[in-house]
Amino acid sequence: MSKTIIEFKNVSKTYADTDTTVLKDISFELEEGKFYTLLGASGSGKSTILNIIAGLLDATDGDVILDDKRINDLPANKRNVHTIFQSYALFPNMNVFDNVAFALKIKGVDKKEIAKRVSESLKLVRLDGFEKRSITKLSGGQKQRVAIARAIIDRPKVLLLDESLSALDMKLRKDMQYELRELQQSLGITFIFVTHDQEEALAMSDWVFIMNEGEIVQSGTPTDIYDEPINHFVADFIGESNILNGKMIEDYLVEFNGQKFEAVDGGMRKNEPIEVVIRPEDIWFTLPNEGKFNVKVDTQLFRGVHYEIVAYDEFNNEWLIHSTHKAIVGETVGLDFDPEAIHIMRLNESEEEFDARIEEYVEEEETVGLAKAVEEENAEEEAAIQEAVKEALENTMELTELAETVNEILQKQENETENSESGDHK
Amino acid sequence: MTKRIYSVPYFLWIVFFVIVPLAMLLWQSFFDLNGHFTLNNYILYFSSGTYLLMTWNSILYALIITVATLVISYPVAYVLTKLKMKQFWLMLIILPTWVNLLLKAYAFIGIFGKYGSVNNFLQFLGIGRTQILFTDLSFILVASYISIPFMVLPIFNALNDLDDNLVNASRDLGASAFQTFTQVIWPLSLNGVRAGVQAVFIPSLSLFMLTRLIGGNKVITLGTAVEEHFLTTQNWGMGSTIAVVLVVAMLIVMRMTKERRD
Repeated sequence: MSKTIIEFKNVSKTYADTDTTVLKDISFELEEGKFYTLLGASGSGKSTILNIIAGLLDATDGDVILDDKRINDLPANKRNVHTIFQSYALFPNMNVFDNVAFALKIKGVDKKEIAKRVSESLKLVRLDGFEKRSITKLSGGQKQRVAIARAIIDRPKVLLLDESLSALDMKLRKDMQYELRELQQSLGITFIFVTHDQEEALAMSDWVFIMNEGEIVQSGTPTDIYDEPINHFVADFIGESNILNGKMIEDYLVEFNGQKFEAVDGGMRKNEPIEVVIRPEDIWFTLPNEGKFNVKVDTQLFRGVHYEIVAYDEFNNEWLIHSTHKAIVGETVGLDFDPEAIHIMRLNESEEEFDARIEEYVEEEETVGLAKAVEEENAEEEAAIQEAVKEALENTMELTELAETVNEILQKQENETENSESGDHK
Repeated sequence: MTKRIYSVPYFLWIVFFVIVPLAMLLWQSFFDLNGHFTLNNYILYFSSGTYLLMTWNSILYALIITVATLVISYPVAYVLTKLKMKQFWLMLIILPTWVNLLLKAYAFIGIFGKYGSVNNFLQFLGIGRTQILFTDLSFILVASYISIPFMVLPIFNALNDLDDNLVNASRDLGASAFQTFTQVIWPLSLNGVRAGVQAVFIPSLSLFMLTRLIGGNKVITLGTAVEEHFLTTQNWGMGSTIAVVLVVAMLIVMRMTKERRD
């Protein structure tokens, strides 16, 4: 385990004048050199956490620890932490060079050293040669890069990014996601990224904190959170999903829509009411009456990679399914899914209880890499083929055996008739 | 077409109240007391020690008034932007401009006079009555007081438009409060300061009422000189010459304090 760089101990934040609590008893530890994301809707308190780390806001209660030192009373300019603001906050009265050089100039670093490091920093964000450019003449993406270069020039311990990509258009945002991730990995600086965009959070982070109403609802790796959301809020917030009310009959057996299904979860009371999540990409279509149940296609949207199909079952529950095939609106088809696709969420379960239960009942999928995965798939396929061949062989063997027996019987009969004939002749 | 019709009053105004008076002023400045065309007015102005001293006085006092106003107004404007009901407080500062200048001047005569409230207070402190009215100090004080709203307003607007995140970013990047002020806040509010300086310095060059009522005519500025020439000595030519010099000086100041865009 790497060194802890930032720790929150029971931090809360209340605005006295309006008596609103924006952070409720937040505790967490962040390790050095990782990419963290605080994900939540606006007003969930994620930016407040960032501002408390940066020193722009004071925590009402609790301890904020940076690099083993309590920094609650340390002013913002004494913290080895830099922020990239949503509006970039580049100084319009300075050119690109002076903006990037700001932190070093303040420290009184020698001019030659500044020039060297500014050009290094600009090279890292691929803006070399832009030194003399005026800030107002830059595009959104270029401003973003200058803001990054300015923040990394004196290698802070932690870089805080406040909705930093939100102002960019879709294509540029995707490019910047790759670049930020690469930059973070090559610099080894701890990044704390705040966003309301779940896709962005899942794409870039080592670890995601999901926030709602001043509390951390769930934290984990992006895959953990996507595959095992703790509650309705998270399941709904992260990706698209089908969420249904159900009942846990017993371990590994769940009931919803008046039907019992095999599942892989357990550790709940018998007949406990729960919620079931099934991701749209885990469901496939079958012929009517051949799946788990039938649905009627209502609408579909073409999403590029797939069709997003909305269908209703006989209980009028809405089902969202991803399919590469185009559906005919109004047709009735069957739905099928694996027991692993059913994820069970208990109502009002705390994060600790949830983690313990998941550890006990759900198998962690190991990352094997693409090549390994292809190999495994190939091996499975080969095994399937061998199985089929073997079966076919066995069938033929059986057939030959059958043929032999028939032959034998026929032979016997022939012999017998011959015998009787010869008998008659006798 | 209709747009042109709407602009007619504007052009009429500009022609009759700006261009024609300026042209008449210029024309008048080339005539002596007897109505003969001459350049002597200008020659006299630039060779006479009295006029040059008066010019120097005008510039010096306008400068002192501007600096004093700026020193008071900048912190005021800055504090105002941080207040909750900033528009209300701003209005309170602008309010005195609604009162006639002459009335304010008379009010100050009452306050600074020998038996005015300030002297009463000094008496109470045991310092004794002092001459306050008709001193340079009282002149500068009152002139600055009158100019403050015109300085506060543009600076307030500039500071109010300043993105808080720029200040945050500066602090975040390691700058102390003082460094943030010199590197970020001051440069970014300079346009407001320039506008304020224009609004205070230029009128201060030609102040004449206050020089008499509060300054007791001890300070003679170009404004006083113009008034004297037109009303007392009836030398309109010389008065116009001084006025032309003032106009040119104002143009120079406006040029120097022009808003910079890049």
